[in-house]
Amino acid sequence: MEGLMEDDELKILPEGCVSTILSFTSPQDACKSSLVSTIFQSAADSDIVWERFLPVDYEDIVSKSNVRFEFSSKKELFLHLCNSDLLIDGGRKSFRIEKSSGKKSFILSARDLHITSSNDPLYWHWASLPESRFSEVAVLRTVSWLEIVGKIKTQMLSPNTKYGAYLILKISERSHGLDSMPSEISVEVGNSQGSTTIAYLRLAREHARKQQMERLFYGNRMEMLKSRVVEGDGRAPSERDDGWLEIELGEFFSGENDEEVKMSLVEVRGHHLKGGLIIEGIEVRPKQY
Amino acid sequence: MSSSTDSPTLTTETTQLSPQPDTETAKPTKKITLKSSDNQIFEVEESVAMEFATVKSFFEDSPSTDTVPLPNVTAKPLSQVIEFCKEQIKFKANPDEAQKKKYNAEFVTEKSDKDLVDMIPVANYLEIKDLLDVLNQAVADRIENKSVEYVRSFFGIDNDFTAEEEAALRREHAWAYEGVDED
Repeated sequence: MEGLMEDDELKILPEGCVSTILSFTSPQDACKSSLVSTIFQSAADSDIVWERFLPVDYEDIVSKSNVRFEFSSKKELFLHLCNSDLLIDGGRKSFRIEKSSGKKSFILSARDLHITSSNDPLYWHWASLPESRFSEVAVLRTVSWLEIVGKIKTQMLSPNTKYGAYLILKISERSHGLDSMPSEISVEVGNSQGSTTIAYLRLAREHARKQQMERLFYGNRMEMLKSRVVEGDGRAPSERDDGWLEIELGEFFSGENDEEVKMSLVEVRGHHLKGGLIIEGIEVRPKQY
Repeated sequence: MSSSTDSPTLTTETTQLSPQPDTETAKPTKKITLKSSDNQIFEVEESVAMEFATVKSFFEDSPSTDTVPLPNVTAKPLSQVIEFCKEQIKFKANPDEAQKKKYNAEFVTEKSDKDLVDMIPVANYLEIKDLLDVLNQAVADRIENKSVEYVRSFFGIDNDFTAEEEAALRREHAWAYEGVDED
């Protein structure tokens, strides 16, 4: 038997082993490894690798979409789900995979949120915007009671992952009253009372100018309004890559059990009218460490 | 109880069975000889050799042989693989998941990169699934978030792409090359 095989045959790592090794790394490592050698490239493209990176319930999620798309490999499917929003649940939610980790993220559309008085056209109306991934966004005309609540089950998310919840919004040029008073934002998991903090619905560039005016005219009134809500520095919206603004409502750990996460932004203490807010939805996505 | 696995003497239980000795339990500890490609001889207990699925089927096909030539396995990785399997036999007799985990972790931690890489094809060829799992995970941990050049030298692999192919691949996965650890 000796001499029948080349002596150095086993010095070469079998492609199947390379695939298994890469499946234990990350999507980023697997893509990068394509460049190591031709064996690695072919191993890094295999379904063994990408099946492991896809969420365990990806078939279920994809089946909730109206869009039927063809893909030739698990890698192609994975990258497709990273690079574009997949509308699911009749267009009420969108789904994505985070490229570097393979973890799941969702955006609950405005229609999937509980927005107080949103079905009363006096206060809110529903519009279709070209820059929205959804068919409709909620546009605030004017309201004194501003309450936006989103709910998601942790079982829909990747387990044991730190997630952040972000309200995706726009502030129109004709907005008024939105940051006269800070909004209270919170994220609660299950029955545990989450901590409430504050946020200002305003554009940073507008803010500096306004602040000067406020101090000049309403100094005392502003201080009084602010003292009615909890203390804190107050978050402000930041710009997203998709042209929207976002404001972090809070964070939570998805764990392993199925619990309901309640994410909210509320401003009901000022009693003044506010308007000019456009709500795209609430995004729930993994937080970078 | 442990005597039934360790000792070749027949117990009262086995005497009631057919007189043919049970290959798993009652046979005296038979030694099997493994010969590496660099002509080193390894004498191992049959139970250890049977951990190697490839060797096991070799014996099923030709039961009269007592020396198994392994023409493409060199002595060093083979001796390490045998060392691992000997321990696994002990855990089979006395299951202790925590100890097994600890042993497996230590087994790979103390090995050099080259030792791990050399053992993988051997474990794959001999079809030792437990060891292969441990090695694959250990190697994955060591190359995670490393640069392409690091991974090449880790596995001792030469770049066999043309400059054009390499450039095309870099473009395709440009995002993946950002933020890797220092080599």
